[in-house]
Amino acid sequence: MERRSHQTQLPKGVKIYLPDEAAQKRVVEERLLGVFRRWGYREVVTPTYEYFDVLSQGTDHDLQEGMFKMVDRESGRLLALRADITPQIARIVATRMRDEPKPLRLAYVTNVFRYDEPQVGRYREFYQAGVEQVGLPNPEGDAEMIAMTVECLRALGLDQFQLDVGQTDFFRGILEDLAVDETTARRLRSALSRKDVSALERRVEELGAPAAVTELLLALPSLYGRGEVIARAERLVKNARSEAALRNLSEVYRLLGLYGLADAVLLDLGEVRGFDYYSGVHFEAYVTGLGAALAGGGRYDQMLGRFGYDCPATGFAVEVGRALLAMDSQGAAAALPGPDFFIIDFTADKTRALALARRYRDLGAAVARDIISRGIEDSIAHARQQRARWVLVIGGGRTEPDEVRVVDLSVDEERTCAVADLLADPARHFPVFRPESGSRSHA
Amino acid sequence: MDRHGLTLALPKGRLLEPALALLSALGMSGLDGASRRLLVADAAHDLRFIFLKPADIPTYVEYGAADLGIVGKDILAEQEPDVYEPVDLGFGRCRLVVAEPRDLWERDDPAKWSWVRVATKYPTLTERYFSERGIQVEMIRLDGSIELAPLVGLAERIVDLVQSGDTLRANGLVEVAQIMSSTARLIVNRASLKTAHARVNTLIDAVRQAVSSPRPGMGAAVSRPAP
Repeated sequence: MERRSHQTQLPKGVKIYLPDEAAQKRVVEERLLGVFRRWGYREVVTPTYEYFDVLSQGTDHDLQEGMFKMVDRESGRLLALRADITPQIARIVATRMRDEPKPLRLAYVTNVFRYDEPQVGRYREFYQAGVEQVGLPNPEGDAEMIAMTVECLRALGLDQFQLDVGQTDFFRGILEDLAVDETTARRLRSALSRKDVSALERRVEELGAPAAVTELLLALPSLYGRGEVIARAERLVKNARSEAALRNLSEVYRLLGLYGLADAVLLDLGEVRGFDYYSGVHFEAYVTGLGAALAGGGRYDQMLGRFGYDCPATGFAVEVGRALLAMDSQGAAAALPGPDFFIIDFTADKTRALALARRYRDLGAAVARDIISRGIEDSIAHARQQRARWVLVIGGGRTEPDEVRVVDLSVDEERTCAVADLLADPARHFPVFRPESGSRSHA
Repeated sequence: MDRHGLTLALPKGRLLEPALALLSALGMSGLDGASRRLLVADAAHDLRFIFLKPADIPTYVEYGAADLGIVGKDILAEQEPDVYEPVDLGFGRCRLVVAEPRDLWERDDPAKWSWVRVATKYPTLTERYFSERGIQVEMIRLDGSIELAPLVGLAERIVDLVQSGDTLRANGLVEVAQIMSSTARLIVNRASLKTAHARVNTLIDAVRQAVSSPRPGMGAAVSRPAP
């Protein structure tokens, strides 16, 4: 027994998607790609592994530690599986697309590998669908990312969501103003990232900063809410960089109002996650019933510069695994139809089954055939299990040789039709072939 | 957005009594710590309470199975869950210390340690503490009755939580160094703070107020959700 389980064991952090799960995952990815396409984004495919030192240029230390690494047999150099798509796309743009007109709008759907402890809906191999928008420094670019994220959530049927929007430069301005060392800055950030007010109070007390800065620092965890947050922050802040960040955030918020999204957004000036990564407006999307962010992104104007091409950029990614969990918990999982037709032919030569299957597949329907000999009841039970819509039974004694028993499994009704008629005029018999029925049930 | 009631995870054991006292100051009385029920609903406040082993609370809150929880800073420091911890509740004060038997202590010089064998429930904090001092540590991970380990020769030293120090003394152990001090914290799931922010913030504010004015009954009652 023990030996056997060893032979079938999977390493920690990978996941198999069985057919229904794979179909749901495909639905999610196609809907997201559909949104990306409708906003003018073009898909790129990046390598699964690259040289570690090249990938490292665009990633922070923690993520470098978390990469799966191996040695290139030819060169002896260290390779790593991609742990983040953004640096790969930044390099591709910096080296191969820098002369193209801006903005560049690029999209991806792919797996990513991180040597993390598995988290909510995320394993060591997980799937992300996202976009990068390169070349727009202005708030319109940021607003587009947030508006697209909302459209992605809606495309997935998720309507109970909340976007949390921050601006890293606001806190950066405060740190600059304080002129504190790296360690102190990290401690302040750590307390802030946990909204740990008591630790923040202790740290701030140690600083002995001017009263106005102290007040601002202590207010950070509560600078969180709708538009009024900006007005509150304006009264507290006294440095140029933070003020510019507020003006920028305020403009993005105004644009989101034009998109009709002001109610979907919470501003959070105390959010310092991703501080090292982002350079401006950044955001995360949360849905009711899922304990972790479902999507996130933001501006990273320094990233392309690390690959030798100074150019502003922003982007976001949706976590496909978490989207699947959220859709399940909000009752938004996609209906997964089986084949449109399941054909059972009891005659010896099977020519009618082959002709019907050929004809209907040519018209775009999904047609499965029962090619195992078994009783009619077992065959129909199998069709039901496969979620087929119609069963076509040829022969078997209940009908004439040139007739077909048509069973509609959705309503459990049956009738008898001539084979010739089913071949000549499919649309009369089955709504799936009528143009007004719109896209086929699978689409 | 505030579609569902909130779930609050409460720690069984030494923090339960002060946690229930806090809740009763918020107007949520009638919770029975001695009951064997693991889940209790408070329909009047649209809240659910679940009773868990303290070490499990960060997991429930991080995954969002509970929106909020009450747990010791020692456990948070050990597990480093990705949660918010907005309020220091002030109770459950204790310290994480290195301790060893009195006879070893009398001839021991911690400045000369280069390798130690330590029994503990806190492997991450223990490892970090010793490695920051350049000391190699062999860890023996236990789940309870840590004080026993030196008495039966499982490990020379232990890293464990002490409140009064009575348990250490009763077992002939002496505290050699303090790793951290700890109090109970209110922790909050990251998504809950965003998706149910009005309710969660009201609750956090009420807790904060009750903690800063600790007389029973003085805390602001938690407002009921609008119908």
